[in-house]
Amino acid sequence: MGKDRLRLKELGAIIGTLIFFVLFSIISDKFLTLGNLTSTFTMAAELGIITLGMTFVLISGEIDLSVGSTFAVVPMVMAIMMNHNFPSVLALVIALLVGGGIGFLNGFITIKTGIPSFITTLGTMMFWRGILLAVTGGFPIILEKSSKTLHFLGGELGAGFRYSGLWFVILTIIFWIVLERTSYGNWTFAIGGNVGAARALGIPVEKVKITNFVLMGILAGLAGLTTFGRFKIVDPTLGVGMELEAIAASVMGGTSLVGGYGSILGAFIGAFMIGMVRSGLVLAGAPAYWYRAFIGVILIIASVINARTRKKVAG
Amino acid sequence: MNAEILVEMKKIVKNFGKVQALKGVDFHVKKGEVVGLLGDNGAGKSTLIKILVGYHQPDEGEIYFEGKKVKFRSPWDSRSMGIETVYQDLALVNLMPIWRNFFLGRELKKRIMGINFLDVLNMKKISIEYLKTIGIKLRSPNETVAFLSGGERQAVAIARALYFGAKLLILDEPTAALSVGETRKVLELIKETKRRGISVIFITHNIYHVYEVADRLVLLEKGKKIGDFQKQEVTPEKVMEIIAAAAGIGAS
Repeated sequence: MGKDRLRLKELGAIIGTLIFFVLFSIISDKFLTLGNLTSTFTMAAELGIITLGMTFVLISGEIDLSVGSTFAVVPMVMAIMMNHNFPSVLALVIALLVGGGIGFLNGFITIKTGIPSFITTLGTMMFWRGILLAVTGGFPIILEKSSKTLHFLGGELGAGFRYSGLWFVILTIIFWIVLERTSYGNWTFAIGGNVGAARALGIPVEKVKITNFVLMGILAGLAGLTTFGRFKIVDPTLGVGMELEAIAASVMGGTSLVGGYGSILGAFIGAFMIGMVRSGLVLAGAPAYWYRAFIGVILIIASVINARTRKKVAG
Repeated sequence: MNAEILVEMKKIVKNFGKVQALKGVDFHVKKGEVVGLLGDNGAGKSTLIKILVGYHQPDEGEIYFEGKKVKFRSPWDSRSMGIETVYQDLALVNLMPIWRNFFLGRELKKRIMGINFLDVLNMKKISIEYLKTIGIKLRSPNETVAFLSGGERQAVAIARALYFGAKLLILDEPTAALSVGETRKVLELIKETKRRGISVIFITHNIYHVYEVADRLVLLEKGKKIGDFQKQEVTPEKVMEIIAAAAGIGAS
């Protein structure tokens, strides 16, 4: 029964993935090649690492719209530090701390002022994007040297796969265990499901919520770093709109926008589906702007399926 | 002090701004006793209980638990001494399965490579078996609470409190939204709780629900205690009359 429930949660994403898999295989004979599979997986990974954090934040009953900006700020910090000859590992650590700091600020403002995280993070999304544009003057920053540290973030792993894909898989396993098999995950579910009950049972609601925001910031930053590792360049508009894709991937994977319900496995599948649609449409020869229209349609279909299964699982 | 008394509150006064919510209330519960705490909305029932569990601090008055003077700073203080409260809407998380609810905040863990993982198998086993021992049969520990009836939810919350060693169980309107049959089940469960020697405070404004199981009835109105009867001394109708008269409504 437990396994059935787990499967049901991700039903929308699984069905969607299968449909598109078959569809794209028919449309393009290049779809079922290793080259396409690996590039799909790279795209899925860079989005998916954010989606893992977003899933935790959503389950705990919050939202984070600032992740697209964090996705650019963190690699920007690393790029600027490396161009000023700081050791790359130090630059990496500081950049990720900045990501965690952005997350902490989101959580802290939300908890202490009581305004909705939608508003807090809408504000910080604009703030950090503005800072990025001000610091760079709108121009991209190009890394002036090669770096082993960056290679381990977004470089080639072999057979076309990249390190980002490996990190995505490892992080998915870790976050699945944390969500499903630790007290922390149990509390995250409880806080999103019934915050009053969670408080009455002595669960440290504020601490858990803020921690989820911090994790979110670090993961969004890490995802940005994997993209930076791939291109060695950071554009100040990097990651614009990424927050909505991450939320879409999370929701397609069965996570509820109102909290208390969600799945890390679903987040993985949701991100993979978006990556697949992106590469599939390119192979099918469709103009790039069709991508967004497609994602929109899938989002709605998957959500309808998920809402129905959620009713069966949770009334 | 009488050794039979589990908890005693003396001359409790509580003000919220200019409103005097409690005006020197004495209240006690004996070991193994079921006390019905009755009163209209705003009579001070929930303020009294929130002071007892440490959610509010009294402005005046003292609280004794098992003969010792106590000052609970938070509900966690009182819970660690065995006072468990089942609130109407704040007991369970509907989207979570029974076993996760049963152990919420007090999860069983097993250590693997220095990391504390949930002991899922044991939690499932214990929760469903414990429910069975107190007479509640549920299909599976994996069942989501949203699918349980109102009575079953109360039962899970009460069972949880008993399992974690409650000495005093406080039930906040446990039968308020229940059908007749469901109410019966909850009342049976309260009797079972009493058989185990555990004290119960049953907060309600429906005398008929509490009359059957209560040993004693305490009546509050406008922040004052207006009655304290052994059940044999009063009829439900008499209790209603006293409350209505104190509230200034008049009996007829």
